[in-house]
Amino acid sequence: MNIGFDTSQMLHGAVLTVELAAGGVGVSLVLGALGGLARSRGPRWLRWLIVGYVELVRGLPQILQLFILYFGLTQFGINLSPFTAGFIWMCFYGTGYAIEIFRAGISGVHPGQLEASTALGLSRFQSFRRVVLPQAVARMVPPLTTFVILELKNTTLLYIIGVPEIMYHANLLASNSQPLNIYLIAVGFYLVMNMTLGRLGAYVEHKMSWAKS
Amino acid sequence: MFSDVMVNSTPSDIAVDIRSVTKKFGERTIFGDVSLQVRQGEVVALIGPSGAGKSTLIRCVNCLTPFESGSIMVLGHELHGTNEAKRGPSREMLKSIRTETGMVFQSFNLFPHMSVVDNVALAPVLVLGTSREEAREQARELLCSIGLSHRVDAYPRHLSGGEQQRVAICRALAMKPSLMLFDEPTSALDPELVGEVLGAIRALVDRGMTMMLVTHEMMFARDVADTVAVMADGALVEIGPARQVLDDPQTDRCKSFLSRVLQQKAPSANTSAPSMGAQIAADAPTQEHEQARDTDRKRKHAEEVER
Repeated sequence: MNIGFDTSQMLHGAVLTVELAAGGVGVSLVLGALGGLARSRGPRWLRWLIVGYVELVRGLPQILQLFILYFGLTQFGINLSPFTAGFIWMCFYGTGYAIEIFRAGISGVHPGQLEASTALGLSRFQSFRRVVLPQAVARMVPPLTTFVILELKNTTLLYIIGVPEIMYHANLLASNSQPLNIYLIAVGFYLVMNMTLGRLGAYVEHKMSWAKS
Repeated sequence: MFSDVMVNSTPSDIAVDIRSVTKKFGERTIFGDVSLQVRQGEVVALIGPSGAGKSTLIRCVNCLTPFESGSIMVLGHELHGTNEAKRGPSREMLKSIRTETGMVFQSFNLFPHMSVVDNVALAPVLVLGTSREEAREQARELLCSIGLSHRVDAYPRHLSGGEQQRVAICRALAMKPSLMLFDEPTSALDPELVGEVLGAIRALVDRGMTMMLVTHEMMFARDVADTVAVMADGALVEIGPARQVLDDPQTDRCKSFLSRVLQQKAPSANTSAPSMGAQIAADAPTQEHEQARDTDRKRKHAEEVER
């Protein structure tokens, strides 16, 4: 297709976007699960630490977080590449949100469930693993779908520090071509990716339909 | 029903011995200085107004809730109040107590992510180490004996309340307990579904199961329980043989509770003699009562519609 410019650059950008989002989501989910568990079951000092972390993530503008990581840390001689700084930020930010999703999922399970499994003689770990967690995960599917889509869209912010993802290339191309056409191509990329994720989330939700009571 | 439920017996004749137990939530005392014994094979019904601590008391027995002072002996295991014991009961002891004690909750608390048969088979596999196949086979047999053979592979949300509670009873029985605790098993049920659950409990009583039963079903308590204990205002106010306590209560607190409960059941008749015996006499022409109440309700409804 010849529309006056080279779209292969944007395809590269899209690949980078997906890599960043997938990596960020992966790390965030693992840390978020641990954090969410510690937030609901851990010792008091750890809970407060996690509450503080979540407040930091939730309370500060994303650009400020990103700039502190990329520009602010240079003051201490820490020079991160745009990609590294961007990826660390994705994980930092995503973990905060994932912790909240996991915590809400766990605390949303009716306390009677834990009582019933305890009364049957299951250990704390067995009760959590076999009774609480499966129900918590089912409740988490819709917010997690939204979370993954959010992480993917957040990669656009990284263009500001020079990570060559979709928006970075789109802006380069837009400056010497018709901008709307370029941006529409970006729209196409994002819609395809995010609607795929949305369908996937709906499918998983459907698979866990026993959760609807 | 429950033809293969084995009722185990421990060496001692006393299944549960509650000795001057006090339970507080923060500063508030739920009940104080309660003592109560349950013999092997005995059925003890706990009745009394809401908030009297009946449910909390049976939760103390299987350690779902710790208590502050006093001690409880459950099937040979000693539990002590948190004020008196340096450390809580060991994990092994908790596991034994809970394994040997079955509990049925007011709100069923079935596991919604598992089929009925897996709900029943879960604990034998995880706690007793029964093989999965064997546990499911036993679960099927239990479910069949309670008339739920057609519901084995259903999920809890597809079941009626009565069916769910019967599954919950099977789930507790699958651990082959020697003591069953029932926490208002019929309170969350539609009136028409109460009978099937009471029927299942009655079948267990006939098998000689030792039971502590918190209930608001006075007639049922009178019928199946050996002993009735009345709790009110954080204390055990009266205890004795079921019929004696319900038909001829001795304490004022117990009398006033029973009169209120029984008056609710029959608003028109029987205001002067609130005892259970009189209640039964008054209930004899039940159909007439029902009809009278029905027509009364229809009349009121018609009036409202007119307005």
